[in-house]
Amino acid sequence: MWWGLLAGTAAFVALTVVATVLAAGQQGAPSLDDPATVRSAWAAASSGTTFTLILGILAMTTEFRHQTISATFLATPRRARVVVAKMLANGLFGTLFGLVGTALTAALAFPLLALRDAPAIPGSTIAQVLVAGVLGTGVYAVVGVGVGALVRNQIAAILGSLVWVMLIEALLVALLPEVGRWLPGGAASAMLQVPSIRGELLPTWAGTTLFVGYGLAFAAAAVTTTLRRDIT
Amino acid sequence: MIAVERLTKRFGPVLAVDDLSFEVPHGSVTGFLGPNGAGKTTTLRALLGLVAPTSGSATIDGRRYADLADPVGTVGASLEASGFHPGRTGRDHLRVLCLAAGLPTRRADDVLALVGMTEAGGRRVGGYSLGMRQRLALAGALLGEPSVLLLDEPANGLDPEGIAWLRGFLRHYAAQGATVLVSSHVLAEVEQTADHVVIINRGRLVRAATLADLASAAGSRVLVRTPDADRLAVTLRVAGATVTVEGEVLTVEGTDAPSVGRLALREGVELHELTPAGADLERIFLSLTDDGGAP
Repeated sequence: MWWGLLAGTAAFVALTVVATVLAAGQQGAPSLDDPATVRSAWAAASSGTTFTLILGILAMTTEFRHQTISATFLATPRRARVVVAKMLANGLFGTLFGLVGTALTAALAFPLLALRDAPAIPGSTIAQVLVAGVLGTGVYAVVGVGVGALVRNQIAAILGSLVWVMLIEALLVALLPEVGRWLPGGAASAMLQVPSIRGELLPTWAGTTLFVGYGLAFAAAAVTTTLRRDIT
Repeated sequence: MIAVERLTKRFGPVLAVDDLSFEVPHGSVTGFLGPNGAGKTTTLRALLGLVAPTSGSATIDGRRYADLADPVGTVGASLEASGFHPGRTGRDHLRVLCLAAGLPTRRADDVLALVGMTEAGGRRVGGYSLGMRQRLALAGALLGEPSVLLLDEPANGLDPEGIAWLRGFLRHYAAQGATVLVSSHVLAEVEQTADHVVIINRGRLVRAATLADLASAAGSRVLVRTPDADRLAVTLRVAGATVTVEGEVLTVEGTDAPSVGRLALREGVELHELTPAGADLERIFLSLTDDGGAP
């Protein structure tokens, strides 16, 4: 259910803001005196991205799981259209998730940061982070649809994405640090301008373009391979 | 018009359909028959563009399914009744299809009424019986008021009332000019519903003919019950008929009932039963597709 994922997003965002701000300066957690910490409290707006990735994956894989893909392809025999339509619809939904996350972040960060007497950071930075949150969440949903179209199996797609990001990419980055910024995870981090272990990141626009490009590449690959397969 | 031309489909090592060619004319109900694994479902799916032919073609009005201007409005299909999201209601499933096909959502209620599922349409598909799923699949096929219906075992799971309803519905639909291709294993039903039959076995065409032609080609039989079975059998064989004897019952082919009666009278054989029996589809089907029993 999509509202389950929305609830998850909201909860995760709220938790991130609260934890970052209230735990700051204690037991090794980054202090609020560092502007980067304040920035990352605002960046909680984009922490719902995993949920929207799953949203996008579910959009395609659920059809295969319940065999409604036959009916879908009968109604729309030009299969590429189905992928495009799902990308647009889920991109929109993902963006709405992002709006919810951003609104929640603003509602929590303002009072909490004031409570902890945190130093002010430029309004433009805040704006940039929030916008990245809204759009980035939307883009993750679009990429999710591409992944789901290519992998088709629900469990494999979700687990595969998580394993890739947390294990395989992390490993590749550790072995070949220069490659890190060009991988999907690195591109996504650049899009959101979230500091990560990937070292130097691409500029925001480049990261965004690359990440969206990955999503479109998955979809294009799917249209020419997995989606051409027989539905039996 | 449905046209399958030299259709061949290979799934890895398995040759599901082998150089199959047949046509289904307008305004008729055609039964699509064959043993399990004969290639019926594969052929239907090839017609619908769900399965890509290895070679040959399967077209509707000369076009592939994907090239039709209005797929859902031209062809309605009911394949296995399992393609539903269990969490959705029947009505919502149909409404999604309406949206995807650009039809007004009112059509969902129309077709639910048509298949007698108006009340059940508000319940989740996960709770449906097989018969209800089958009716929902049929409702989905009828959404676009198509002129061609491709049905894969639509009577599967229907209760006697449902089967009778389906028979009447298909005949009525075809009488309005629609082309209906129904694959089925219930031969008695096909006999009552269809005008033509296409019989395939092991991916190849065995026979494509009208039911009338098939019956007359197979010849009629006469069933006789007499206490003097062997003597009558001999007499009939001398007269040129083919006779099978089982206890008191003779099955006679190659002659008609009046002739049998006359012969029996001449020989003084006491008859208890003398019935002409038309060739039935099951017998024709089994004799055409019999290849030792193994599927």
